[in-house]
Amino acid sequence: MGALDGLKIADFSWVGAGPRSTKDLADNGAEVIKIESAKRLDLGRMSPPFAGNSKDYDGSAFFAQTNTSKKSVTINLSDPRGIEIAKKLVAWADVVVENFGPGFMERIGLGYEKLREIKPDIILASVSVAGRTGPMAGFRGYGNSAAAHSGHAWLTGDEGQLPHMPPLAYGDVVAPMFATVAILAALEHKERTGEGQHLDISQIEPMVHVIADIYAQDEIRKTGNEDESYLLHGVFPTAGDDQWIAIAVETEEQAESLRSALGLKDGALDPAEISERTALENKFDLFEKLTSVGVPAGPVLDGKDVFENPELRAGDHFVKLEHPVLGVSMMPTPPYKMAETPWQVTRAPLLGEHNQDVFAGTLGLDRAKLEQLQAEGALA
Amino acid sequence: MKMLEGVRVLEVADGLTDFGGRILAELGADVVTVVVDENRDHARQLAWHHGKTGLSADDPEAIRNLSRDADIVLDGQRKGDRFDLASAVSGSDKVIYVRVAPFSVHGPYADKPATDLTLFALSGLAHVTGEPSQPPLRFPGEQVYALTGIQAATAALLALQARRRTGKGQNIDVSAFQSATLSNYREAIMYEWTGRIGRRMGNMLVRGKSGVRQIWPCKDGYVTWSMIDNPSMMRAVVAVMNECGAAGELLSIDWDNTLVADTPQETIERWQGVVERFFADHTREELGKWSLERGWGLSVVYGPEEVRESEHLRERGLFVDISDETTGETKRLPGPLFQTPANATPSRNFSAPIPSASFKRWSA
Repeated sequence: MGALDGLKIADFSWVGAGPRSTKDLADNGAEVIKIESAKRLDLGRMSPPFAGNSKDYDGSAFFAQTNTSKKSVTINLSDPRGIEIAKKLVAWADVVVENFGPGFMERIGLGYEKLREIKPDIILASVSVAGRTGPMAGFRGYGNSAAAHSGHAWLTGDEGQLPHMPPLAYGDVVAPMFATVAILAALEHKERTGEGQHLDISQIEPMVHVIADIYAQDEIRKTGNEDESYLLHGVFPTAGDDQWIAIAVETEEQAESLRSALGLKDGALDPAEISERTALENKFDLFEKLTSVGVPAGPVLDGKDVFENPELRAGDHFVKLEHPVLGVSMMPTPPYKMAETPWQVTRAPLLGEHNQDVFAGTLGLDRAKLEQLQAEGALA
Repeated sequence: MKMLEGVRVLEVADGLTDFGGRILAELGADVVTVVVDENRDHARQLAWHHGKTGLSADDPEAIRNLSRDADIVLDGQRKGDRFDLASAVSGSDKVIYVRVAPFSVHGPYADKPATDLTLFALSGLAHVTGEPSQPPLRFPGEQVYALTGIQAATAALLALQARRRTGKGQNIDVSAFQSATLSNYREAIMYEWTGRIGRRMGNMLVRGKSGVRQIWPCKDGYVTWSMIDNPSMMRAVVAVMNECGAAGELLSIDWDNTLVADTPQETIERWQGVVERFFADHTREELGKWSLERGWGLSVVYGPEEVRESEHLRERGLFVDISDETTGETKRLPGPLFQTPANATPSRNFSAPIPSASFKRWSA
């Protein structure tokens, strides 16, 4: 049994900022029906890496890992008949999720007020770069836009250096986590009041929240890898090309253990002296050596290290799934283990894989009518 | 009404759960937090613990008793279970016990000491953050703790949903290492499918055979924008450049039939030179306005004080006054997590911890 068994989600979201949230819900038992269109492909289906042919929209590993455990149907939202089918999915759903630009859902007749007419207690979660209100509502941006607007880019790196962008669309990671929290809180609220609501999740605001501790400082400045509240806080070279280890010393006891383990002089910890010592050692050996005497340390892992990491494997961070196009592939799982309602991650759907199942089965639509709508492009 | 009105949360905070408890408090839960490390940086305590009731870690028995009265226990102790919470809640079938640790319970790294920085290094994110010639770099703040806190809150809310159906709580284990690594969605999968290992590229965005810039100086600061394969965006930028007489050779490029990712680097550098000169002639306000109105995808890089004073965020009410009762000062910090008419404003105070045995609200 999953934590969200019985919950029904109509998922209009695409790329990263919405789908990562609905993945959370689907992996935990919610029935998530992803509304897609061959005429306006989810850009995630065109994002690398690919299993083979980059034109095969079922072959993106990026899409596959972002959309586990979901169903896929194709609906042409520019066709009024497609909109009518979409409305039936809204009537079926408890929650609707979308991350189109503000105004799009209203333009196609699926704005919140319309959804409430269809289902009065519906929960609608809208994720966008800057939110649905304010002078920047409607801003067209990407996952990294929020890094600029939140202070992240300005704050990354050392004093005097240029702003630094994250190496991935970090806003597309943090915002959907907030969307998941928002949806779960809204479900709790609905249990108490019977009311749905419209959740407006911006990408910028979550990115501000996760650096709230910096906003609480009296004097805000860039500190790179340093942190004055630690006795030592840095990244040090280890043996090999571009190999490093992070060490953070919180207490004098840990400092003494570090001095002993590395043969350091007494007194204040000297990063230059520490670098000389660490540069002679393998990062994994040093990780074991330092952590075994109570010093917090972590080797800087690269993509290969992460993929092969024994701790991640032991924690079921990746599950091995068989996919019709990708073949056997590793997919990420939720980072928690729930004793009574464990997650169950299944493979991502092919485009429109569940059309018959959902349209004829879940919605009970007439098969002949469906065939006609499909032939005429309304369900494509 | 607050969304989580009446939900009782006991948090034992040591970094990993701090933001998770804060999320639940923002949503209206009654969060009581025991701060294990009393020497933790004051700004961090203010940021993560406002809106909660602080308790001293002075009376393990009182804290164990509270754990049995809670709906949710967020246990973020990084250095062992000094309050024996696991056994305290073991007799209850309604408590949702979320144990948050650096690593998985039974994996090879279980019980290893860790902090935000060491976990960030392990996540694979540090390896690709920073300049190629410099050491790996962390993200600002304590991102692993923040990400883990969100996952802890998520797990607790999932269990609350499950409890509504079953009437029973449950035990949950959250791994901070996995929480951080989950956010690194690209590096492991890129290795799995291409065999390529990502490296630090500074502010270059590398796609296909070439790399494009992400940070550009302008007249009064910096903006971020990239020459990516988005024809409508490229046309929108070039149209304004043309209106200003600055489009140069970019005007003659058929963006619909040009794949930037496959364009030789020297050609891209030449094109970027045209853009660089144009951006350098204009202010952040001008460029930001064009971006908003014309759909450029360009963002102004703001410093934290500018973010706090942003007209947009002010209108959305992101920053709120937090009263620090320990200093008598007020700080403007992020408040609402998202916009909804359904959530009433929670407490905006930060107070010093009280003796744990003196907390009686849950037994009243």
